Order: sequence, then C-alpha cells, then structure tokens
Amino acid sequence: MSHLLDRLNFLQSKELEQFADGHGQVTRENRDWEDTYRNRWRHDKIVRSTHGVNCTGSCSWKIYVKSGIVTWETQQTDYPRTRPDLPNHEPRGCARGASYSWYLYSANRVKNPLVRGALMKVWRRMRKTMTPIEAWTAMQNDPVLRASYVETRGKGGFVRATWDEATEITASANAYTAKTYGPDRVFGFSPIPAMSMVSYAAGSRYLSLLGGTCMSFYDWYCDLPPASPQTWGEQTDVPESADWYNAGFLLLWGSNVPQTRTPDAHFYTEARYRGTKSAVICPDYSEASKFGDIWLAPQQGTDAALSMAMGHVILREFHLDRQAEYFEDYCRKYTDMPMLVKLEEKDGKLVPGRFLRADDFDGKLGEDNNPEWKTIAYDAASGSYLAPNGSVGYRWGEDGDWNLEERSRDKATDLKMSLILEEDHDAIAAVDFPYFGGVATENFVRCDHPDVLTRNIPVKTVKLADGEARVATVFDLFCANYGLDRGLGGDWAAKSFDEDLPYTPKWAEKITGVPADKITAVAREFASNAEKTGGKSMVILGAGLNHWYHMDMNYRGIINMLVMCGCIGQSGGGWSHYVGQEKLRPQTGWQPLAFALDWARPPRHMNSTSAWYAHTDQWRYETLNVDEILSPTAPAGDWDASMIDYNIRAERMGWLPSAPQLKTNPLEVGRLAKKSKKEVAQYVADQLTSGKLEMSCEDPDAPENWPRNLFVWRSNLLGSSGKGHEYFLKHLLGTDNGVMGKDLGEEGRSKPKEAAWHDEAPRGKLDLLVTIDFRMSTTAVYSDVVLPTASWYEKNDLNTSDMHPFIHPLQAAVDPAYESKSDWEIFKAIAKKFSEVAPEILGQETDVVALPILHDTPAEIAQDHVRDWKKGECDLIPGKTAPNYIAVERDYPALYERFTALGPLMDSVGNGGKGISWETKHEVQELRDLNGTKLDGPAKGCAKIETDIDATEVILMLAPETNGEVAVKAWDQLTKATGREHAHLARGQEHVKIRFRDIAAQPRKIISSPTWSGIESEEVCYNAGYTNVHELIPWRTLTGRQQLYQDHLWMRAFGEGFVSYRPPVDLKTITKGVQDDGDSLVLNFITPHQKWGIHSTYSDNLLMLTLNRGGPVVWLSEVDARKAGIEDNDWIEAYNINGALTARAVVSQRMREGTVFMYHAQEKIVNTPGSEKTGLRGGIHNSVTRTVLKPTHMIGGYAQQSYGFNYYGTVGSNRDEFVVVRKMKKVDWLDREATEKEAAE
Amino acid sequence: MMDRTLKSLSLLLSYPTEELQQAMPEIGGVLAAETRLTAAARRDLRPLVSSLQGDDIYDLQERFVMLFDRSRSLSLNLFEHVHGESRDRGGAMVSLVETYRDAGFDPATSELPDHLPVLLEFLALRPLGEGREVLADAAHIFEALKTRLVRRDSAYASVFAALLQLAGVHADSDAVAELLDQPEDDPTDLEALDAVWEESEVLFGPDPNAGCPQVRDMLANMDIPGPAAPATSARTAE
Repeated sequence: MSHLLDRLNFLQSKELEQFADGHGQVTRENRDWEDTYRNRWRHDKIVRSTHGVNCTGSCSWKIYVKSGIVTWETQQTDYPRTRPDLPNHEPRGCARGASYSWYLYSANRVKNPLVRGALMKVWRRMRKTMTPIEAWTAMQNDPVLRASYVETRGKGGFVRATWDEATEITASANAYTAKTYGPDRVFGFSPIPAMSMVSYAAGSRYLSLLGGTCMSFYDWYCDLPPASPQTWGEQTDVPESADWYNAGFLLLWGSNVPQTRTPDAHFYTEARYRGTKSAVICPDYSEASKFGDIWLAPQQGTDAALSMAMGHVILREFHLDRQAEYFEDYCRKYTDMPMLVKLEEKDGKLVPGRFLRADDFDGKLGEDNNPEWKTIAYDAASGSYLAPNGSVGYRWGEDGDWNLEERSRDKATDLKMSLILEEDHDAIAAVDFPYFGGVATENFVRCDHPDVLTRNIPVKTVKLADGEARVATVFDLFCANYGLDRGLGGDWAAKSFDEDLPYTPKWAEKITGVPADKITAVAREFASNAEKTGGKSMVILGAGLNHWYHMDMNYRGIINMLVMCGCIGQSGGGWSHYVGQEKLRPQTGWQPLAFALDWARPPRHMNSTSAWYAHTDQWRYETLNVDEILSPTAPAGDWDASMIDYNIRAERMGWLPSAPQLKTNPLEVGRLAKKSKKEVAQYVADQLTSGKLEMSCEDPDAPENWPRNLFVWRSNLLGSSGKGHEYFLKHLLGTDNGVMGKDLGEEGRSKPKEAAWHDEAPRGKLDLLVTIDFRMSTTAVYSDVVLPTASWYEKNDLNTSDMHPFIHPLQAAVDPAYESKSDWEIFKAIAKKFSEVAPEILGQETDVVALPILHDTPAEIAQDHVRDWKKGECDLIPGKTAPNYIAVERDYPALYERFTALGPLMDSVGNGGKGISWETKHEVQELRDLNGTKLDGPAKGCAKIETDIDATEVILMLAPETNGEVAVKAWDQLTKATGREHAHLARGQEHVKIRFRDIAAQPRKIISSPTWSGIESEEVCYNAGYTNVHELIPWRTLTGRQQLYQDHLWMRAFGEGFVSYRPPVDLKTITKGVQDDGDSLVLNFITPHQKWGIHSTYSDNLLMLTLNRGGPVVWLSEVDARKAGIEDNDWIEAYNINGALTARAVVSQRMREGTVFMYHAQEKIVNTPGSEKTGLRGGIHNSVTRTVLKPTHMIGGYAQQSYGFNYYGTVGSNRDEFVVVRKMKKVDWLDREATEKEAAE
Repeated sequence: MMDRTLKSLSLLLSYPTEELQQAMPEIGGVLAAETRLTAAARRDLRPLVSSLQGDDIYDLQERFVMLFDRSRSLSLNLFEHVHGESRDRGGAMVSLVETYRDAGFDPATSELPDHLPVLLEFLALRPLGEGREVLADAAHIFEALKTRLVRRDSAYASVFAALLQLAGVHADSDAVAELLDQPEDDPTDLEALDAVWEESEVLFGPDPNAGCPQVRDMLANMDIPGPAAPATSARTAE
C-alpha cells in the first residue's frame, strides 16, 4: 500500500497550527503510512536467552517475540557490574549469535520425527500382528530385514513418523538390547553439558536409569589437555576473561582470541590500553597476531621446542645465575621441586626413577597411614628426611594434615630445593635423559644429538629399608633436563644461550625457525614481569597445541614456564586454556540429575576415544608402533605391544572404563552372582580369573561386544567430531565409505597380542542410530531415527562458561516450532514409552556395573606399582588391581517414574564432588516444597522433576555454586581434610539461593565453592589455583603440589617423566600405493576453529556462508600453491590413506609454508562436489584423520593419574596428519541422477 | 463457500498419507473439472494425481521428505525464498499470521504461517480476487519452484504450473532469474559457479573516481609526490 491516495502532494492546508517556534506543525492528513515504521519494531515480549552452542560465550541476548514468532534479537547489556578499575563484561555476543533467530525458521530445520523408510515400512507391517518388542526382535533376527535399512544409512529415504511411533521403535530397541546383550550396549553421546545442562541431563539421566553408557566428549574432541590432570589433578581450571585485564604480560600461544573468543576479546584490547605487553606465538599471521607487540611464528608442531628454550632462559637468569626471591619461595611451597627422586640403574647407568616415599625407609618414617603415597623431601631445619604435609597419602584415611603449610605434621619445615652446594650433596652422578629431537620425520628439522643425553646431578646417598640409594631433588633433575650447565661438567649442559645444545634458544631457532634473540627476549620479559608483579604473567593457549600427538609436551613446556615464575594461582597470571569444556559451574548439583545418582550409583561412564577406536575398528589399521614412541631409557618391561593391547591392559587393571564391560550380559551376571550366593564383586573376580567371564575389550569385534544402540544429541558426532569418519561409516554404520587403507591382516603386518583378531571385520555394528537435533546434520543424515528438538529460544535450561562467572538461562521465548520438543520432553517421552513396552521382557533386575579406579576417591591410591593380574603378577582384587564390580538394582517398569522424580539416595547418601561429600536432606525437602511431590507410584513422596524448569531447580538447589548454604557445608567438609578454616569464602553468601527466575531477571554471579580452585570476590577475578596458593589447599596430585615430574612407570617408559621436545609422529598415511604420480605437494593438515561458524553450527547458515566463501575451503601458502599450480579459488583435493576431501583453495600470505588449514567442521551437506580419488562425495575434515592412542593417557589407579569422566583418558589427536594436495581436474557434483530419490550424500 | 481447486492444490502439496491416497479420486475430479486451468494444465496434473493415488505410500513419503523437507531450494515455506535468513522473515510471518487472524482464522497446525499448503487453504476461503492477488505476488516463487522441479523430473511441477495459471499473471522474469541464480541449480556450468564464489576485491577507502569529492581531492593530493606526502597508500599502489 503506497498511501499515495491519502497524502497531499501539491497542496497544503491553510488551517495548520504551528508550535515550538515553527519547528513543529499540526496536520490533519492521514498518517497511517507511518505505522509501517512503528510496526517494524513492535513486539509482545522480550525474553532473555542465549545460544547453547558449543561455545564459551554464554552471552546474554534479548529475544523479541511478536504473535508467537521471534522477530529479532539484540545483545543484553545488564550483566552485574564489576568493581572499580575493571571493565564490565559487555558487550558480549558476536555475528554468529546474532544470526541465530533466522536459523530458527530455517529450511534446514528438522520439522517432524523422521524414520528411515525401509525401517518404517517393516515396522508398521510387523506391528499389525506383533508387540513392539516382538517386532524389533523379529527384525533383528532377520539379516535381510536388518540390512535393508542398515545399508541405506546416509542415502536419504526418510519418512515422517509420529512421536508415538518414533519413541516406540527407540524404546523397543533399547529394551531388546538390554535383555539380549546388556544395557551397556546402549550408548549415548552428547558433549559440553555446560552449554545446556538440562538437555544433556535429559539423555544421560535416561541412559543411567537404563544402565546405558554415557560417552565422554572432552577427551574425544582432544580439547582435554592431559597435562592439566598430570600437573594439577584438575581437569581444566582457568582464569575468567576479565582477569586478562589484570595481567602485566599476556602471551597468546596458538590462540586466536579475536576470531574464536569474540565476546571476550575486548578485555584483551582493554588490557593493552592499560599497558599490558603482549606477545603472540602463532605459525600463521592470525587475527591475534596483529594485537601482539611481538609476533613469533614457529613451525607448527614445534611449540615444545620453543617453550623449552624459554624455560632454559628463565631458569638460567631467574633461578640459577640469580635467584628471584618470589620464584624461589613459590617453587618451594607450591611445586614438587623440593621432592626427592630415586635414581634407578638401567644397564649400568642411572635414570630418574620413582619419587622417594615414606614407605622406602626403615620404619616408614613413622607413617602408618599410606606411607607408600607420602613423598619425601630433605629438611634443612632438622637436617633430616621427612614427608611434607599435603601429599595424597595425607588426603585419605586421616584428617587435618592434607594442606600446603610448611610443615610435616607438627614440625615446621624448610625444604631444600637444590643439593647443589658442596655441603648438601654426597656426590655428583651422571644421569640419563631421553632426547627425541632426532626422530623427526622429513617434514621437520631433525637434530643430530644422540637419543640419550647424560648430565651431571648433585645427589645424596640415603639408607633405605632395602639398602642404599642415590636421590636427587626434582629441581636439580629439572634444571639438568633443560640442559643448563651448573658448573658440574659433562657434555650436554649449555653455558651460554648460543650453544647448539638441546633446549638453548640457539637450538630452538634451528627447530622452530624463530630467531634465538626473540626467544630470549620474550622469555626474559615474561619472567621479569612475573617477578615484579608477583606472578601476573599469563599464557592464553589455543587447543591447536593440544591436538598434536605429543600435546602433553606442548602443554607442559608452557605450564613449566608459568610455574617457574609463580604465575599459577595469582590474579592476572596463569594458564588459560579455553577449549571445549565450558566450565559446568554448578557441577555437583547437576551430577545427580544427569547421571541419576539419586536412584542408583555408579553410572556407566566411558572414555570415547578408546571406545570409538575399538568399535569403529580403527585399531585394525594402526600404523604407529610402540617402539616409535618408547623412550630409550625405558625401564625393563614387556613394552612390545600394540596400542589396543595397552588399552586392554589399562581396562583390565581398572585404569580405564570399559563399554561394553563383560562379554556376558551384566543382567545375566547379576542373576548368576545371586545364585552363587557370593558377593557380586567376588563372584565376578573368580569368574574372570578362571576365564569363565571375559572382558569385552579383549574381543571388540565379537557380535556380543558391539555397541547396539546409539543416541546422539546436541552433537554432530559424524559431521564434526568423528575422527576416522570413514571408519565410522564402514564398521560402525555399515554403509558406503571411503576407507582406502588395508587392515593389518590384509597387509600381513603383526597383529595385536591381546585383542582377538577376526579376519573378516564386522560392518554395521549398530542396530539403531537415533539422532536428536534441530537441523539436518551429517549425523542425522546417517541415522535411522531423527527426532526434532527445540532450539535455544524454545526451551528452558541453564548455561555457564569458563569465560565469565555468571550463570545464565536459556528460555522458551516461543513454543518449539513444527513438531519439535525440548530434549527434556523427548527423553521423557522415550522413558514413558520404555516403561510401557519393556515389562514384556524386563522387570526388576540386578545389573553388575564395572567401575574403574576413580580420581578424587579413596580408591585413587590403588596401585603404587604396575601389576597385571592376568599375567599372574597379583591377585584380582576388585577396586584395587582391577575394576570394581558393583550390583545395581534396576526397576525397568518404573523407569519413567524414576526419571521424573528426585530419588531417595539424595536423602540417604547425600551429595558431593572432587573428594568431599555432604548431606543434602534439607535441600531435598526444599525441592519437595518447591516442585511438589509424587503422590503415588514407585516414586511416591519424592520431589517431582516433571518440567525442564523443575530440573533446573534441582541443579540450582543442590549446587554449592548457586546455594550458599550448601557452599558453606561443602567448605566445612573440606576443612576436615585440610585442618584449615575455609568457610569464610562463602559465609557472606550463606543465605543466597539462586532460582531459575532470578537468572531470568539477570545473570547471577556464582558462589565460591570447593569444587573449583578460584574464588568469586570483590578483590580478585576468578583465577584457577587461587585457593591452592592462598588457602593452602593441596593440588589433587601425588605430591599435593604442582607436579612437574611424573614418576609413573609408564610415564618413565615413554620418556615423559620430564618435559621434552617431541616432534610430530609419523602416521604413515601417505603411501606409495595411495599417492598418485605427479602429486608432489605434501602438507601438514591443521583444523583450527573458524570465524564463520562455531564448530559445525552455523557453517550451513547462508549468512555465515556468504561471509566466508559459501562452502568448504582450505587455506594454503602462496609458495605451496605455486608448487602445485593452484590459484586462489581453485577446487583442490586433499587425500591420504584415510580418505579424501574436496574444497576451494584460499591462497594467502597469512599461511606458513608446509601447512594447510581446513577450518574445523565444515559440513558435507553444503556445496561439496565428488572426489576424484574415491568417486564419492568429498568427505569432511575428519575424512583424512584417524585416531591414534597414547599409552600414557591410559594410566590409572595412581593419584592424579586416575580415571575421571572427561578428566583423564586417551584423547583423539589429529594434528600430526599429512595430506597430498592437488588441483582438481574436473569438478563433479555427482548430480547426474538428480532425481527425487537421490540421496543427499 | 470454499474454492475446492485451491484446497485440492493445498492437499497435493501436503505430506502424503493413506487418507490422502483415498481422497485422490475426488481431488482428481475437482481438478479435472476446473475451467480456470487450461486443458494442458489439467492434463499435466494427472501423473501426480495418479502417482499419489497409486504409488507405494513409503515411496511417496520418502520422495516428499527429500524434496520438500530436505531441499532448501524447494522449501514450501514461501518466505525461505523471499527473505531467506534475513531478519525480515520474522516480521513477515507476523504480518501473515495476523492476516489469517483478521480474517477470522487461527492457525491450528505445527507448520509456520508461510507454509504454502496453509496459505492455499486460507486463500480457498477468501474471495476469488484476493486469492488471485496473493498468488500473483508469489508468482515468481512458483515459477522458480516449477523450474527446479522440472529439472528433477518431478510430477509436483504441475502444481506450480497450475498455481501460475490461477494467478493469471506471468511471473516477473527478473525476479525468477534472481531466484534461479543458485549455484546448485546448474551444477555443470562451472563458470557460473565460479562467478558466485569469487570474492570481491577489498578496496580501502572510497573510490577516488566517485563518491565524496573532499576525499577525492585529498587522495589526489596524496598522489602528488613530494616531501610532505605520506607513504604511498594501498590504492595508489595499484
């Protein structure tokens, strides 16, 4: 409507009145046309929500709703203010988040429950005459019927289903699987609970009530830095982004803050205005590089060489030639540097061995409780050996001395850090250290130094129970390891930075390409700032460093720098690894809800990397041999085994979890155990020892041991995190795939020793793949059942981040679009259906759950020596030398009632986390009063958890972070262990109880709790390690201190007792067979985070695609492009033995020669032509990757090196991969048969 | 009084069910008798009518999901083609749902207001002229969808041909061309593909040959070599 008819064009009324000195006038013409503009911004309501994507943002957004439709969103700007002299948190948000509301109504949304047509057809036919369970059973027993849908996975063919049908198929499959194979064959994968905790909990609660397996994500994504648990006994704890502002020196190491931490980047800018100096270390000219006062560009994968050289400079100038008082004091109190290490003989030479322990002494130094877990130092005050407070031995079985006071029980101590002075040592001994710089592949600089470097160390001789031994302090060994000359002579100790000896700046220049003077300058400024400011030097490091096979060396090299300079636990200092965990702040309140701990304990947790390695049969293609990574100084032992063998040993000894657990159905084991009248654990132990029961891990390809059902929700497992994508397709899913390599059997190479080998590898292990998503993702395309879920403006949930200390809501601004439901409602519906169909075959059952030895439990001090029961080295003692076996009572018909009620264990057992526990009776009663109680049924009298808001209240009520009363209780419990008063940290907020409606009104800052090592206060920002340093709470490690020496047998065997530089490993994925003639460009394949999407989310969003190039791209340098005749925007193909991918080339000066970038998780569903190499549609970035395990990540039963879900375990590294890159001759979109039936893939 | 032709077309574009299959003879009858459609258009609808009536329901459903639920370029949500993922989409949907309400109807479906079968059912209840006007507004979308469906040999193309006849207009060819200018639509034409993909050159500062005269003069001055001139700018380096 133009309104032209209503408006006067040529005439003006004479009756006009004027006002405001002629600036205003009254008109009488029609002004309806103005409504267009008024209405543009009309809205009925504004709702606060955020984007629960895999992102650390947790940004507050205003969602505008009109007539039940989201019309637009703007950034909220009402975070609680910070204190004077600290910038506020706003503005938070980025272009990705701002493009979300259009995503809500995108044509990419899944609108209805979808089921594979072939499956639906058979199901409906069978259901006419059969019960749901009978129908599913019949389908599984008929190989032709099963194959009819299994083999069509990924090839389209979906039909819509009703919710009733879709949940019935799913529930029947779950019940059948539990009955036939065992409930632990039902797997569920969902990442990052912090981004939408109730959605995560919905699925994991269902699985846990069923006895299914919850898969980890942090380790699988390779974002978990194992160096953190190794050093601190903590998964990952980091400073909030506001604390960047307090730093005096900011080192960005492989992190691209402006690109990947957009809402927080302003603190980085503001810090520079404040005068903070910043150095950026990054191989490519990234967006962050231009922020740096200095930019160092090392060759990718050589970061450890750089950090070793910096450590060398810091030690030389601040610890040896001059002792910075602050550093010396800090290291003595807060690190293992004064602890003594026994030197062990190997082939007539000495190597660093185990920590000296009270147990080694005659009379155990008077320590009766855990003497084998109390480490020893030399006390200058008394001139004697003693066990300083705080080691893990003090943590369990006694109270009051687990602290970092400078005492050994009642005795004040003055620990010696070095024995260098003449009067302090008995001798100078030559000690061997492994050196790996010589094993580099042709793509990296190879040094000609020998593989063992002998250095001179001051030692003491000490009389122990079994004779005399030589011991040295960690500090003295540590300095020797860094190659520093201390006037003790020997070949491999550098007097000056200019010598080409391992770990000098000169040496590092050769390996990294960074000029030695710059390395020295940055190290010096970093340390000098820390000395002047009391530790305010910070490193923000990116996950890129953690994605290399030897990630621990990259991380420990940096951690060592921070620790040497006293930066950990100081505001403005510290280790900032903001990757992939997105701190679940109310963790201990969430766990009972998420893992149904209110009904049964323990739940089944599995480390995904090992599980996928086994179940997608990537182990059958392993090319990395143990001898390539074993240390030349390894203690004698049976080290010759394959990676899967190591994993099997780890599972057997109770180090890592298993899924499935036993070859026999655990419900059957429960029945038999009951019949035997033995205690369950003893029964299983006897059967395992006699060989009548077998662990599933020993034969992953046997049909009894396959995962049968898999739920994927809140994740695009196949599209964005499936390392070894093509192996998933081939073996787990059983559909078309691009695997080009041959397995060990076909190649005639040596096979694993412990894992059973089947000549014919299984294809299509999964009976049912269910994906719950709001859009058609790659995983959804491959699924049998796709359930449409509510998006982030359509559900109520909680969200927290490690970047800021606030707890934030997601809220249902509108009802879920189309037929979708929230994750909570979906799993509730499946639970309800399960309770209807299952009673046909399942009732009340005894399930036998295998539990590995867990960190932060008394069991963590299980194995001070490595002994394998199967080899007869010890007895099988459940929970000590093997997993524990625990009977758990399931009530399958009552599953739904249990799902929707808070169970009785919260009353009778209480709650806790990270080694402390407290009672929760009061909170449970308050939840009854708040949510109402179940009036009858199997959960009668329990607090209801019907809605997603009820679920949020459970979390908020039980968590110390959101309930001040619980926080005080929790701190009081910790006081028992440490003997120190801590409750003052929460006392002021004892009466604060945060409810869902409170955070809907405004995000709230959480309350300080012992779950975390930082505090919330008006004086300092949240920073990890703060309570360790300022409250003297020990780190949860063997020594109780920041542990820079790792003495576990396997750590020493694999050469990682101390940090060193280890070049990337050779994955041998470019073979003569696979590399075509004329293809000569071989590049290192790197997958960083992108600007145009968050992982996979948004990368199929048109706005984001327009900002990028609208499809998959790879970045490469001008030099490399020229070599292969590639021009910008050409289609290229990258391939190796694992698969191939196609993309456009972005040729850029930004890139360093020798590397190719493909941003993480661009999707196969967008604009991808066919690959010439495989003839199939070009793969995704994971098509060319394969998981490779590392034995040191399997260690367990050893203080901080004990298993925890998403805490420790094998990680899926992927940076060591190389690909052949070539220009495509012809782009084929595989659209020849673009008919209606053609599949999207 | 309901326009049974529009209602029939709404049904043809709905998710195929057994109920729909049973009603196909009646629907086919209504369409066959519609004189607003040419004989050719009525004939073209027959294969779809008979396929919906006689084909295996699972094949029909799989086909429908693949075409209309999965293919973005064939989405039956009209605003997908008008507004895409722009922020105007929410506002446009609000207007549409209010149009339904003003006419006395509440949406009773999980589909969004711009879902074509919803719109067609609404128009079937409205005066003829209004229906034609609205259809005419969307003619370019129908034309584009028709073209894409023809490329896929889909019988559903005939529904859009029929809608175009009922609209009584020829779609604006520029608007259609714009919609059809999608890289996926002609995958064999690599040059057209490249044109879409090419990144535009980044220019710093305004173009000295156009735009702000003050800046032009300033830049022109900077081009004169001399001791006072600053370092050569990015533009002059070209």
